[in-house]
Amino acid sequence: MSIVCLLFVFFAVPLLLYGQFVFFLDVQPPVLKGKPLRLLTAGLVVLSANNAQSQENVLKEANAFYQKGNVEAAIEGYRAYLEIHPEAFEVRSNLGAALARLGRFDQAIAEYRGALALAPDNPGIIANLGLAYYKTGKLTEAAQQWSKAHALYPANRQITMLLADAASHLGDHSQVIALLGPPSGIDPQDLGAAYLLGTSLIAAHRPSDAQALVALVLRRGDSAEARILEGTLELQRGDSSAAVADLERATQMDPKLPNVFSAYGSALLSIGETGRAEAAFRRELESNPNDFLTHLDLGFLLKQNQQYDEALVHLLRALELRPGDIAVRYQIASIHLLTGDLNAAVGELESITHDSPRFIAADVSLTTAYYRLKRKADGDRERALVQKLNAEEQSDAEPALAHPQP
Amino acid sequence: MIGAVLLVGGFLAASLPDGYAGSAACASCHASQFASQQRTPMARALESGEQSAILRNHPLLKFREGAYSTSITREGSHSFYAVTDGAQTIRVPLEWAFGVGSVGQTYVLAYNGNWYESRVSYYHTLENLDVTMGHIKDVPRSLEEALGRRIGVAERTECFACHATGEIQAREIHLETLTPGVQCENCHGPAAAHVASMKSANPPVVVPAKLSRLTTEEMSDFCGRCHRTWAKIATDGPHNIRNLRFQPYRLVISKCYDAADPRIRCAACHDPHRDVETRAEAYDKKCLACHSATKVCTVAKKNCVTCHMPKIDFPGAHHTFTDHNIRIVRSGEKYPE
Repeated sequence: MSIVCLLFVFFAVPLLLYGQFVFFLDVQPPVLKGKPLRLLTAGLVVLSANNAQSQENVLKEANAFYQKGNVEAAIEGYRAYLEIHPEAFEVRSNLGAALARLGRFDQAIAEYRGALALAPDNPGIIANLGLAYYKTGKLTEAAQQWSKAHALYPANRQITMLLADAASHLGDHSQVIALLGPPSGIDPQDLGAAYLLGTSLIAAHRPSDAQALVALVLRRGDSAEARILEGTLELQRGDSSAAVADLERATQMDPKLPNVFSAYGSALLSIGETGRAEAAFRRELESNPNDFLTHLDLGFLLKQNQQYDEALVHLLRALELRPGDIAVRYQIASIHLLTGDLNAAVGELESITHDSPRFIAADVSLTTAYYRLKRKADGDRERALVQKLNAEEQSDAEPALAHPQP
Repeated sequence: MIGAVLLVGGFLAASLPDGYAGSAACASCHASQFASQQRTPMARALESGEQSAILRNHPLLKFREGAYSTSITREGSHSFYAVTDGAQTIRVPLEWAFGVGSVGQTYVLAYNGNWYESRVSYYHTLENLDVTMGHIKDVPRSLEEALGRRIGVAERTECFACHATGEIQAREIHLETLTPGVQCENCHGPAAAHVASMKSANPPVVVPAKLSRLTTEEMSDFCGRCHRTWAKIATDGPHNIRNLRFQPYRLVISKCYDAADPRIRCAACHDPHRDVETRAEAYDKKCLACHSATKVCTVAKKNCVTCHMPKIDFPGAHHTFTDHNIRIVRSGEKYPE
């Protein structure tokens, strides 16, 4: 049983965004060193000191435990081995994989980081560390690790897909397009790549390219992926009824497809079906708990329903997933405005308008907050700014009024 | 307080929602305000199809648009809204008529479990039907589009919240507790506790919020809940002539608007308990409250609003609206958005 196998096992985890199995292929087998084991633990094979063969047996048995699903025993074996061979980064990485398999991702991250301290350029460990971060919802950290791995192995499709997935979650659609594009280069059989790229093309307001991709995907027949892309495009065009129909069909064709209920919820929201939209968002989060947009949309919806406490829970989670995101910060500030926490709202809104000077909605809310705090001069100044910004945006708008009627 | 029966404007509400006393209870003490308010268009902002005077007086209304024909027919005490392409027909009872008809009247229809804003509305000037304001002028692509624009729960709730009273409970719409029109408790809030306290031998008296104490900015936001706030339009638009109808927004962008000056707030010129004053000269003293007699207009000495608040033709409305953006209007100017 090699370490390669363990890494395979850990990577046999469905991508959160797209439910295909991904394997990392380019990990070298470890070189086991023959130092004596110092620690023997209950339930494991007892080794005699200074017996290199026994040590290797411990490792083999630990791997076997892992394969059989006795992961706790495997962890004990790896830990025992590492007591004697702390420099064995491959074994430490295996320990990380075992911990991750039990969902103990924080401990797994610590072990992967320890392994990387010894082998900083090992792409397998880097990728696994990224996956552990991903599973804990630390998408920024995951993307950082996969960027490193991608730089080391630019031709590796699995790493490229992982990085594109993280970039999509983080809203970096230009990176997704750069990694996976152009649309004409997508294999229609590779629904995962098509779905990721299509989603980013739509988000980047490139509907023609996205439509071409949908046509490409449809060549292999109808699919939930094609429906969700088509529905999202329709939603962007303002054809809400068609979007609802296509996205509802997508939920029926593949209810486990990540983001399918999120997109369906957005379409329902666009036609004002708030109750059904809320149910769709909650359904999405059951299987996809780290989806930024779903947390944002649900937080927004709950805010509209005046369920401010629960709205804040989702918005704060969204902010963890995309630190500093302006849209989330604005929603949080608007809740503070609505609940009368005016000083908090002003602080947040001033920060938002500083970071994003053309975010007119934030300036509008800041105006309201100033007036409610009786800061009339600030309110007047902010209102004048809003009018100026709106006028600039509408500079090509209406023709002159020929004859105002008395 | 479920189970009470209210008769306002001839409409029999099935029940009153919790906390509501009904306008009849308010009228027992505030008789003059109630009586005058009932004559305003706001009080009659919603009618049942059965009650609508327009529908009663127009037993057959017709409209044709491309391949589609629309008709509103009166049968007994009920009206029916029908669209047909010659081969297929959708015909539904006309339950709700929005607007009393000073400009027009639009209908909200139920069909196949969904709700629709009618594709066509009645316009007072035409005394007939035309495409509803805000609907795309292009010919409908389907019989369903010819029927109207589908509206979801949220928009439907907004419609009734501004045209009726007592229909929203726990943020959901309950038509069985609806009283048509903007009645006392729409603005002043549920009054059952107030009524009970006034009848009690041992107060404490529960007093509804005094709307007259709202600041200019607060009042703009309050009236703007239905007439649209500055914040709503500044954020979402429209940033064109279609915001003409949204008076709080238009007023706020006036040069003379001052968020802290009560002389420019909505109620300085409009008494919501009375029908809107249409004589221009009636507003002169409101203008002169700020613009002193020693620094008056060089063009005219009266009827300020005729020039400074021009009436502008609203596209598709067959009606002119008074622009509440108070300003010096210059010939050929671009509509100030």
